[in-house]
Amino acid sequence: MTDVITLTGIGRTFAADPPVIALESVDLSVRRGDYLSIVGPSGSGKSTLLNVLGLLDVPDTGRYELEGEETTVLGDAARTALRGARIGFVFQSFHLLAHRDVTENVMLGGLYTSAARKGRRERAHAALERVGLSHRRDFRPTHLSGGERQRVAIARALAGNPALLLCDEPTGNLDSANTAAVLDLFDELRADGTTLIVITHDETVSGRAGRRVRITDGYLTQEPL
Amino acid sequence: MRSRLDIRDLFAEAVAGIGTRPARTALTVLGTVLGIGTLVTTLGFSATAGNQIAGRFDAVTATEVTADIPPPAGPDLPPRVEWGALTDLARLNGVTAVAGYARTQPGQEPSVRANTVRDPERVLDRALPVVGATASLLGAARTGVAHGRFFDAGHVDRRDRVAVLGPQAAEQLGVTRVDNQPAVFVAGKPFTVIGILGGVGRANQQELANAVIVPWTTGDDTLHLGPVGTVLVTTALGAAPLIARQAPLALSPNDPAAVQVVAPPDPAALRTGVADDVSGLLLVLGLVSLTVGALGIANVTLVTVMERTAEIGLRRALGARRRHIAAQFLVEATVVGLLGGIVGASAGILTVVMISVAREWTPVLDGRLAAGAPLAGAVVGLVAGLYPALRAAAMQPVDALRGPG
Ligand SMILES: Nc1ncnc2c1ncn2[C@@H]1O[C@H](COP(=O)(O)OP(=O)(O)OP(=O)(O)O)[C@@H](O)[C@H]1O
Ligand SMILES: [Mg+2]
Repeated sequence: MTDVITLTGIGRTFAADPPVIALESVDLSVRRGDYLSIVGPSGSGKSTLLNVLGLLDVPDTGRYELEGEETTVLGDAARTALRGARIGFVFQSFHLLAHRDVTENVMLGGLYTSAARKGRRERAHAALERVGLSHRRDFRPTHLSGGERQRVAIARALAGNPALLLCDEPTGNLDSANTAAVLDLFDELRADGTTLIVITHDETVSGRAGRRVRITDGYLTQEPL
Repeated sequence: MRSRLDIRDLFAEAVAGIGTRPARTALTVLGTVLGIGTLVTTLGFSATAGNQIAGRFDAVTATEVTADIPPPAGPDLPPRVEWGALTDLARLNGVTAVAGYARTQPGQEPSVRANTVRDPERVLDRALPVVGATASLLGAARTGVAHGRFFDAGHVDRRDRVAVLGPQAAEQLGVTRVDNQPAVFVAGKPFTVIGILGGVGRANQQELANAVIVPWTTGDDTLHLGPVGTVLVTTALGAAPLIARQAPLALSPNDPAAVQVVAPPDPAALRTGVADDVSGLLLVLGLVSLTVGALGIANVTLVTVMERTAEIGLRRALGARRRHIAAQFLVEATVVGLLGGIVGASAGILTVVMISVAREWTPVLDGRLAAGAPLAGAVVGLVAGLYPALRAAAMQPVDALRGPG
C-alpha cells in the first residue's frame, strides 16, 4: 500500500508576541485506508495540523506529500483544486449555512468539484441517508440539534466523495448511540478505501481507530493503542 | 484537475446570498432606485418637455417665412422691393412657394358692395380690406378655393378686373356662389367675383379670410395699393432658417436691411434650451444619488463579506478558488444594482408618464434609456462590489474559517 500522506519535518509558527510554535518538526505517514486518530490537550496544535493536512494552511518548514505530490510548492489554485477534489472536512464548529436548508448545505460539498451538476441533489440525499438524516433534509440547520448538525456536516463532506476525510471532533456533540452510528459509518468509509484522520478527545473514537498519535505542545508522538 | 463553478451555480449562490437578508437587500437597493429613478425621470421629462415645446412649432409652422416690407420713405422714391424680385426669391433652393401682396392700410378700407341684392334689409356696404396679390397666393398662404377659381398670371398680366373673396368677406357681402358671375364694387369700381376662398391655413394670414383679393396689377391701377408690402414664403422642411437669412438680399439687393423677416424659431435650439434648463440640476442630483447608492452597495457588501467570513472559509475548504469567491460577491452586488436599476427605471418612467398625463403631454420615452437604466444600475453594483469582492477573495482559508472578529 502506498502512503497517502507523508509529512517530513513540518513546522508551523504563528507570528505573535511571543511567537506561538504550534507544530514542531512533525513527521507522519498515513496509508490509504488508514484510520488515524489525533489526541492531545487543548491548544496543543491538533487543528493546526489538520489545517496543514487539509491544504488550508501552508507549513513554514518541512515537506508534505499528498498522494505522492509535493504540496508545499503548489500555488493557491492548485492546492484549492486538490483540496476540493480529494479532501473532505468535518469542522469543529460545523460551518453550516444558516439560511440554506439541509439538502442545500450538503449540496455545497460538490459545488466546486468537477462532479456532474446533474444528480447533485440525489447525491446529497444519498449522503444524508448515510448519516441517517433523510427525515431532516428540508430543515434549516438552526432547527437541528447539535448532533444532527454534526451529521449534516459529515454528509456534506461525504457528498464531495473525498479520498481523505479530516474530522475535528466529529462526535463532540453526539450521545453514545449517535457516536456509535458515526463510528460505524467511518468503518464503512474505511472499507471503501477512504483515509480517515480524526481529532478527538473521546476514548471510544480513538479506540476504534487503527492508529493513534498524540500532540503535545506541537510535538507529535506515536501512541500504542 | 481544477476547481470549477458552473455559471448557473454561481448565480444561484449569489441570489441565495442576496435573499438571505431581504430587508437589508431592499434598503441597499433603495439608493440605486433613487439614483436611477431620478436620472430616468430627468432625462425622460426633459425629452418630453422638449418635444412638447417643439411640438407647438410643428412641421408646418417650421416651413413658413414671412417678410414685411415697409413703404418707401417718400412718395417719389422707388419701391424697396420690386414685384419682379419675387421670382428671384422663388428660385432659391428650398423655397416651395412665394407670393406677395400689397393691401389697403388698416383704417382706410374702401367700401365694398355686392350686386346680388336679395335681402333689401341687408346693409350691403362694407368696409373690407383689399389685397392686391400675385397669382401664387393660394399655395403660399396655405389656402384653396371653395368655389370657382383663383386668378392666374394671365389675369395679372391683362390687369383684369377680377376678384376672389375671403370666406368671411363673401359671407358679409352675401356672395355664396360664383357661377352667376356676381360683381363687387370696390370704392365704386366693379370687379367680377371669380372665386371664394376656403379656410386659410397659414396662421399669420387669417385676415385674408376677410379680404377682397384682386390681381396686384389691377389693385395698383384702380385702388393705388402700391408696391409689395408682404411676402409669404413656404420652404422645404428645415430650410426655413436658411431662407429667412437669404430672403432680404434676394428681395432687395440694394437695401436688404429694409426687409423685416419673420421666421419660425429653430425647434432644435428650443429643445436643447429646455433640456439644459430643466435637466442640469436634476441630472446632477441623480448622479449624486447614484453615487450614494453605489457607496451603499459597497458598504453593505463589505459588511456582508465580513459577516460571512466563515462561509468564505468553508467555500474555500470545499474547493472554491479566490476567483469563485470574488465572482460570487461581484454577482451579488451586480444583481442588487440591477434590481435597483429595474425598479428605478420603472419608477422613473411611471413618473414621466404621470406628469405627462397630468399636463396632457405626449410622453417621450427613449427605448435606449429604458434599456440602459437597469444596465447602468448593474454597472454601479459591479463597480461597488469590486472592492468587497477583492477583500473576500484575499482571505486566507484558515483565517476565514475562524470567522469574523
Ligand atoms: N492564527 C494564529 N495566530 C496565533 N496563534 C495561533 C493561531 N492559530 C492557532 N494559534 C495557536 O496555536 C496553538 C494551537 O492551536 P490549535 O487550534 O491547533 O489547537 P488545538 O489543539 O486544535 O486545540 P483545541 O483542542 O482546543 O481545538 C494554540 O495555542 C493557538 O492559540
Ligand atoms: Mg482544535
